[in-house]
Amino acid sequence: MDALLKGLPLLYLSACDAAKTGKNWQVFLPAASLVPAAKRLRAADYFLEDICALDCEEGYVVTYHFAHFEKPGRPSLRVVVPHDAPSLPSIASVFGGAEWHERETRDFHGVIFEGNPNFVPLLIDPDMADCFPLRKDPKSRSKTRDILEAGDVVFCDPSFTLMTPDAPAAGQESGGEKAATA
Amino acid sequence: MTRNANMEHLAGDFYTNNFAKTAKEGSLILNLGPQHPSTHGVLRVIVEMDGEYVMRAEPVLGYLHRMHEKMAEVKTAAQFIPNMGRVDYGHALAWNWAFVGAAEKLAGIEVPERAEYVRTITCECNRIASHLLWWGAYLLDLGAFTPIMYAFDDREKLLDILQVPTGSRLTYSYFRIGGVAQDLNEDCLGRIRKFIPWMRSRLPMYKDLVSDNIILRKRIEGVGVIEPDLCRSFGATGPVARGSGINYDVRRAEPYSIYPKIDFEVPTSELMDARGRYDVRMIEIEQSLRIIEQCLELMPEGDVLVKGAPKPSWKVPKGETYFAVEGGRGKIGVYLASDGGKNLYRTKLRAPGYCNLSLFAEVSRGTILADAVAILGSLDLIIPEIDR
Amino acid sequence: MPAEFIRILIGLVAVAASVGLIGLVMVWVERKVAGHVQRRPGPYEVGPNGLLQPLADALKLVGKQLFMPDGADPILFWLAPVLSFLPVLLLFLPLPLGDGLFTMDVNLGLLLILAFSGLSVLSLLLGGWASNNKYGLLGAARAVAQSVAYEIPLLLSVLAVAFVSGSLDLATMVKEQGTWPWNWNIMTQPLAFLIYIVSALGETNRAPFDLPEAESELTAGFHTEYSGMGFGLFFLAEYANMVVVCSVATVLFLGGWHGPVLPGPVWFVLKVSLLMLLLVFFRWTYPRVRFDQLLNINWKWLLPLSVANLLFTAFFVKLAQYTIVR
Repeated sequence: MDALLKGLPLLYLSACDAAKTGKNWQVFLPAASLVPAAKRLRAADYFLEDICALDCEEGYVVTYHFAHFEKPGRPSLRVVVPHDAPSLPSIASVFGGAEWHERETRDFHGVIFEGNPNFVPLLIDPDMADCFPLRKDPKSRSKTRDILEAGDVVFCDPSFTLMTPDAPAAGQESGGEKAATA
Repeated sequence: MTRNANMEHLAGDFYTNNFAKTAKEGSLILNLGPQHPSTHGVLRVIVEMDGEYVMRAEPVLGYLHRMHEKMAEVKTAAQFIPNMGRVDYGHALAWNWAFVGAAEKLAGIEVPERAEYVRTITCECNRIASHLLWWGAYLLDLGAFTPIMYAFDDREKLLDILQVPTGSRLTYSYFRIGGVAQDLNEDCLGRIRKFIPWMRSRLPMYKDLVSDNIILRKRIEGVGVIEPDLCRSFGATGPVARGSGINYDVRRAEPYSIYPKIDFEVPTSELMDARGRYDVRMIEIEQSLRIIEQCLELMPEGDVLVKGAPKPSWKVPKGETYFAVEGGRGKIGVYLASDGGKNLYRTKLRAPGYCNLSLFAEVSRGTILADAVAILGSLDLIIPEIDR
Repeated sequence: MPAEFIRILIGLVAVAASVGLIGLVMVWVERKVAGHVQRRPGPYEVGPNGLLQPLADALKLVGKQLFMPDGADPILFWLAPVLSFLPVLLLFLPLPLGDGLFTMDVNLGLLLILAFSGLSVLSLLLGGWASNNKYGLLGAARAVAQSVAYEIPLLLSVLAVAFVSGSLDLATMVKEQGTWPWNWNIMTQPLAFLIYIVSALGETNRAPFDLPEAESELTAGFHTEYSGMGFGLFFLAEYANMVVVCSVATVLFLGGWHGPVLPGPVWFVLKVSLLMLLLVFFRWTYPRVRFDQLLNINWKWLLPLSVANLLFTAFFVKLAQYTIVR
């Protein structure tokens, strides 16, 4: 995974415990790296399983789960968008199936995906499309690190404090000693 | 009279108007559904037609949207299990399994071995029932009125078998976190043992009279060719992907439960068309019978619910997990995130039919309307699962 | 009043009555055969063995509210079922049920039947168009294309038999055939018989060629918007058409009223019933043929075969003429 995303600006890359979390990589990206990262995964023959948004205190954590028909493993890309301006570039041009997943995420959480070819409500009636049922009451939101696990950190940008409040000393580039296990 | 792209005062609803914005001059915009004799469920497809040819198609969802994911946020894990029986009534036990498997994975609960076998047997019985329902309904779409009656005859036997341990005929909530609700008693096991040779005796008849029928073959051969790359782009799994030659089965790719111990084949087809998907499902019925046979032999004695199994008020421990099983339609995924509170923080249900249907717009471009219906049937859609 | 006129009048009344009866019987037969083919009993509640079921159906249809969809053309909408039903009555008149037992003595009986059976297409078209419904329109368009296409091999195969018999008069054609099966025209014209049966299925919109009313694709095709008696008339017309087509087949190929021992009309009814049963069987056994495949079967297979058949028949008839003369 680190080799695949080499060269893209990342925020956080860690190997996860697949036996517990079901995924073996999680990568936090800035919104700008999303489409290039998706293109690389597509070129490596990964397919998009789903797009899932999580309403946490710090923003919406939008997770993209990928899998591969031949190789084992589930890498996941994550982008955190703020509550007041939840907007992301659409990867529908890379993965055709993303169009529907993005429309659903907009229906449930209100996250806007720019560039989605047919961005109308998918599951919720257009008359009440702004009810965003899965948005949580600010009082009942939890912090990201109370839900997600940090995993074995391979890289953490110093400015990224969502997962590890006390960030490691310096951002370590990919290929560090914490070699990943699939 | 007819509503086509020329009309100024479009009287269609939001989706028809949205669709008609990019329609060509003089084409006919037709709504297939949501009430439709092709028994898929409540699906609406807007098609733009040029004579008999479908220029563009757009499925419109949401007619059966019940917001299961919101229900999960106000329920505890144990309270959510009956919901999983209603998401996909065709293969409800697979959804049961996906959810309790996710909860067990997150909490690290190990299920007793007998429970694993019971889960496998009942899930495979359910898979056969699901495929039979698909088969009968597909042929009904194509105009053959008789095979569905025979399929339902077989299915009645299965439903009677599964009613004994689960108490339900269709929307099962049989699995519990830590095992299953009750054991399979001798009566049930005996019935399963009698069912296997009965089903085996019916399959050759179905092959001779239906699968090899020239009219059927002409209807589904060469129709709806799905390239493997399209499957990858849209995330299609299950018989749709296997019918295009991709050898991907969650039971082999992300093994769970006792499937590594069972010897069974994963059928694929190089045909890539509706015929390929049809063949894959028919062979899967036979393979499920094999799996059930082996499970019946290997099943040990023991409990079917782990000691100290979570009570209904059990809180899911902190963390997130993703668990996938192979359902009749493809890869069923359940993503659970919990912050240790009473209710589930986030549950995402990944339905295989959702991704399978999203490629319909691509595949049906330029086909005849009758072929579009044939393609829709070959995708094996259950709309409650797509809409959730 | 001339005897001819009274004869036709009596015939018409008899035909009208029997068409209704045929409809009732056929509904029962169809549903029973469908049931047994599908491993279930079919209707058995109403009356002994479900015999009164068609009566219940008829009462239900008559009792239903007749309504017209918004925007439909009232004249054409109500004309369509009537137009589908009335010409069929005319088609029964030239048919010989027994020796000398026919209503109309027309030496162009065959031509009459073929000409008037073309009118049914008009009613399908009117029904679909006047419904103001896209499904109806599509169904009507399909029906027209199908009917027009299948008329031609029908005509050509029937013409071959006319060559052999030397006349277009149905009574004469029956007389030319003998009592026993090996004297019937099916022996001399087997290909024409097959082509005729397939074309007949196409003409009467019966499965596997029932696309104009394809339930699973177009809801109900051209009769989507009809309920109650409007639908009932279409329904009856379809069965009546089936009977006409089977009767013509019997007359042309199966020896009409000829047969040992039993009187003529009994044999006629028996043979027609057998063919009807065959058509009902086809419906519940085979899936539906796709529309372009349907037209392909017609233009690429039936038409060349029937033309070839006609040419061969013409050749051999001429040959026979010369050899006999000599």
